[in-house]
Amino acid sequence: MRLGLIIISAIFINNFILSQFLGICPFLGVSKKLDTAVGMSVAVTFVMGLASVICWMIQYYILIPFGIGYLQTIAFILVIAGLVQFVEMVIKKTSPTLYQALGIYLPLITTNCAVLGVAILNINKSYNLIESLVNGVGGGLGFALAIVLFAGVRERLDLAPIPKALDGFPIAMIAASLFSIAFLGFSGLFSGLL
Amino acid sequence: MNLWKDFSNGLLKENPTFRLVLGTCPTLAITTAVFNGIGMGIAATAVLVGSNLIISLIKKVVPNEVRIPIYVIVIATFTTIVQMVIKAYSPALDKSLGLYIPLIVVNCIIIARAEAFAAKNPVINSIMDGLGMGLGFTVAITIISAVREVLGAGTFFGMQLFGANFEPALIMILPPGGFLVFGLSIAAFNKIMSLRKV
Amino acid sequence: MRDYIRLAGILFFVCAIAAAALGFTNSATYDRIQEQQVIASAEAKKAVLPDAEEFENLDEAALTEIKSNTKYNYITEIYVAKAAGNVIGYAIQVAPKGYGGEVEVVVGITNDGNIQGIKVGNNSETPGLGKKAATADFQDQYVGATWESPIDVIKNATPKGNEIAAISGATITSRAVTDGVNQALEAARELSGK
Repeated sequence: MRLGLIIISAIFINNFILSQFLGICPFLGVSKKLDTAVGMSVAVTFVMGLASVICWMIQYYILIPFGIGYLQTIAFILVIAGLVQFVEMVIKKTSPTLYQALGIYLPLITTNCAVLGVAILNINKSYNLIESLVNGVGGGLGFALAIVLFAGVRERLDLAPIPKALDGFPIAMIAASLFSIAFLGFSGLFSGLL
Repeated sequence: MNLWKDFSNGLLKENPTFRLVLGTCPTLAITTAVFNGIGMGIAATAVLVGSNLIISLIKKVVPNEVRIPIYVIVIATFTTIVQMVIKAYSPALDKSLGLYIPLIVVNCIIIARAEAFAAKNPVINSIMDGLGMGLGFTVAITIISAVREVLGAGTFFGMQLFGANFEPALIMILPPGGFLVFGLSIAAFNKIMSLRKV
Repeated sequence: MRDYIRLAGILFFVCAIAAAALGFTNSATYDRIQEQQVIASAEAKKAVLPDAEEFENLDEAALTEIKSNTKYNYITEIYVAKAAGNVIGYAIQVAPKGYGGEVEVVVGITNDGNIQGIKVGNNSETPGLGKKAATADFQDQYVGATWESPIDVIKNATPKGNEIAAISGATITSRAVTDGVNQALEAARELSGK
């Protein structure tokens, strides 16, 4: 029940992009085409799940026992950077097809604040290991949902006649705003589920 | 003269928020009140200036292969220092910025300036660049947060602006308002810049 | 191979300097941060029970027993308020479920069953609607309510006795806060043995 609530909250209610504003850069950067958006979301979901678990372990098995909680930010970002590099190497060795599809997105993920964000949120909300994993994967799925839907909209935007000053980022932001309004509708879901 | 150019570059021509559209997450997330906007701007500027300074100092001894991890460590160190200082001296700011303080680490403005400027330029110029970019960012998010706070809450810096009958447009301080105001601000900035050139 | 060792050495060196710098800053700010946290938590309790001179944690066994009772599922912390060595009341922290998540509320209840004040803390309610629960206008309605009968939430009418007016547009939040306060009242009654 609690796990179900966490996953629904991560995907719909507290959607990383549309209500917490985490991971906006890739959201705007790679949402121009549907297939790149799908590739990016798969990579992000995978890394977010993995980072949630590993950062949780670092926090509770290394940082807290040694009383160096203040190194949290630096430890997490290094772990995520290392993790992304590692995933890249593994995929390159084991599945060249997957690497072809995801390869270019992987380095970008290090600076995706959704990944670091979810790792820190798991700790702030004192989730246990399983809950952290679920929150990480759920957050990734929420990211995927938003970015894939949005890519569909942006593909159409390319064809629309748009005033010059609004072309590009501005109109994308306004479209994102309308998306965000739609997601506001989910925010009451939390009390309804209890 | 050159120093001034490095400084003013970040204000208009390459304004990180309106022109380069970098560091969008905090720009959208914390701009619900002017207090938060200014606080985040100062915090990010401090990290930006500090990391530009150090990276410019060590640029000759850093091996090319591991430069990115080293930049990340430098930035994370400054971010953590800023985080501790805010916690110690302004708990109110810490509470309202929350998660977004550690996330300064992944603010693309900072790593972008480290890579594009500080790694290639002398120390003084890098500091000026950091100050200019930081100020450009601060001004931009302050403008956005002023618009959102006034329209969405009817206050400015926490002060009530209108009479009791004013119904604030709530949507402005909710997430959709963030996207909307940011989008329209970029559009307005583009328009002004294009008029200037003519 | 030698190159790898050199690079690893440099990275290690940079990490060591970074950790040293952080360790130094931490030792410089640690006391102040702790102090601020103590002040912040004392202020919340002091605000709801101004007469108290000191607050003590309720002893572990009693708190666990209360928390294990399902009718007290929202209670998170209980403090015993003392003045001149005598127990004068209780500051009880509850976390009922609101519209967007848990709403933290501290309730100050005197020994004879009156609410001296409540304070709504961390919450993820909608800004401009549910967030108004943290304003004095809303919080002050609870002052003077007693544990004789549970508090009711009413809409579009003037409240009397043990009633409070819901925040317009945020009935769920108002109900949640009230549910939390009612549990606190019940628990205080049990604790005081009346």
